[in-house]
Amino acid sequence: MDALISYLVNVISLGGTYALLALGLAVVFSVLGLINFAHGELMTLTGYVLLAGVLTGQPFWLAVLVAVIAGGISAGLMEFAAFRPVRNASGATLLMTSFAVSMLLQVLFQNGISPRGQAVPVPTWLTTSLSIGNSQISKVQIMSITVGVLSLLALKFFFDRSYWGWAIRAAADDFEIVGLMGVKASRLITFAFLLSGLLAGVAGVLWVIQRGSVDPLMGFKPVLAAFIVAVIGGLGSLTGAVAGGFILSAIEIALQTWLPPNVMPYRDAVTYTLVVIILSIFPNGIFGKKSQEKV
Amino acid sequence: MSNSLLSTTDLSISYGAVKAVRGSNLEVKEGEVVALLGPNGAGKSSTLRAIVGLIKSQGSVNFAGHDITGLPTERIVSLGLSLVPEGRRLFPNLTVSENLMLGAPRKAKSDDLFDELLDRLPILRERLQQVSGTLSGGEQQQVAIARALMSRPKLLLIDEPSLGLAPTIVDAVYQLLSDLRKTGLAMIIVEQEVMRVLKFADRAYAMSTGEIALEGSAADLSTSDEVKRVYLGGAE
Repeated sequence: MDALISYLVNVISLGGTYALLALGLAVVFSVLGLINFAHGELMTLTGYVLLAGVLTGQPFWLAVLVAVIAGGISAGLMEFAAFRPVRNASGATLLMTSFAVSMLLQVLFQNGISPRGQAVPVPTWLTTSLSIGNSQISKVQIMSITVGVLSLLALKFFFDRSYWGWAIRAAADDFEIVGLMGVKASRLITFAFLLSGLLAGVAGVLWVIQRGSVDPLMGFKPVLAAFIVAVIGGLGSLTGAVAGGFILSAIEIALQTWLPPNVMPYRDAVTYTLVVIILSIFPNGIFGKKSQEKV
Repeated sequence: MSNSLLSTTDLSISYGAVKAVRGSNLEVKEGEVVALLGPNGAGKSSTLRAIVGLIKSQGSVNFAGHDITGLPTERIVSLGLSLVPEGRRLFPNLTVSENLMLGAPRKAKSDDLFDELLDRLPILRERLQQVSGTLSGGEQQQVAIARALMSRPKLLLIDEPSLGLAPTIVDAVYQLLSDLRKTGLAMIIVEQEVMRVLKFADRAYAMSTGEIALEGSAADLSTSDEVKRVYLGGAE
């Protein structure tokens, strides 16, 4: 029972972060058909802004707020500076651009800040744990679950109730037709990047608080996981991004908890084998639409 | 009544080296229903898509006194042009209600129009909260037309309204179009079912390999051997 509780807690807290990241990727994919691999660097940037806030003695909540907003604004700038000039280029060009932006930011972090990880002090109230039954649950995890779940609920509300939410979901279905609805394409793209940046910001803050540090290459692993999550869920499907986040998290945590020690070094290999099996059953992802080519 | 609403001058469309449409001149007057005929690949859909700015074209397009050549689609829509695309192209993961609301301009007060359309299409009222991808083909076509009407167009472009629908459903779709015509809405209808659309339209153009081969009143064209030849040209 206790093992199950702590398993679920871990799955929900990691899954929530994956879901937020994958949603960020999916929102941009909806409007540009691009997997933005520089998404991870938005997380990293958020981490550094959070660190700067804490080091300059700002209240923690303010540092977090500024960091998340910085994620959104940076994504908007990224779109303006890097992606807008190549908007009508091929998918390969967009993808290369996203790698270029990713590398550029990594080098800037390495040379401009430090190649090594920086500890991010979190307030002491976050470092204690609560006991539920016999299991200990850290407050960081509780916070991460709360923030993850609340963010997802807020997004659900936004996607279901607001004009721009409909527009983003519509873009995920059929971007060309969104223009026919009178929605200005360039505004929708900018909006998608801002939203994706805010999501990277929230995920980045959660990630940094859980690890307690930030380093220049920090964004790579989670964005790769988020990419896999988005593919499992069905690229472009927003529901799929959330479902995929919890599925990948459930697999990873299960293996980490119950894999025999001598097989543990192969954990990632086992994870990805399972991912391949899922994809061979659902070639377009679990919530993916069948790909349709039409001239 | 006889004021020109839309005119294209020397409209040409290329896909790479392939010229899909060559120098076509179309005109639609206020309140007029115009049929655009032709075999597959004649350039009908391309013409509609170019008029609303979904694809690039040469030549010029005038609408309601505005030169809309090269304007972005959302501007053209805001001036009063609306397209019901081929294959309906609803947003399948959005509900009927969301599809319709997205069709209206963001800041518009569109509740009255929404209700009016649902009065016209009572079946949709029962389906409002249903995800549109699960509707039948006929229902989807009704939603597609209603969605295009949410922007209060002066001219509705309709690409293949009867495609893939059972004959009785096609009757219902044309009944809807007939009701709309009474409100003074002008239309261009691209249609494979030539005789049906010629019965409905005021005037018609017949396209063949990217050019307008014939034009005239729908009544004249429906008795023309030339129409049968052009239209069936690919099938003989």
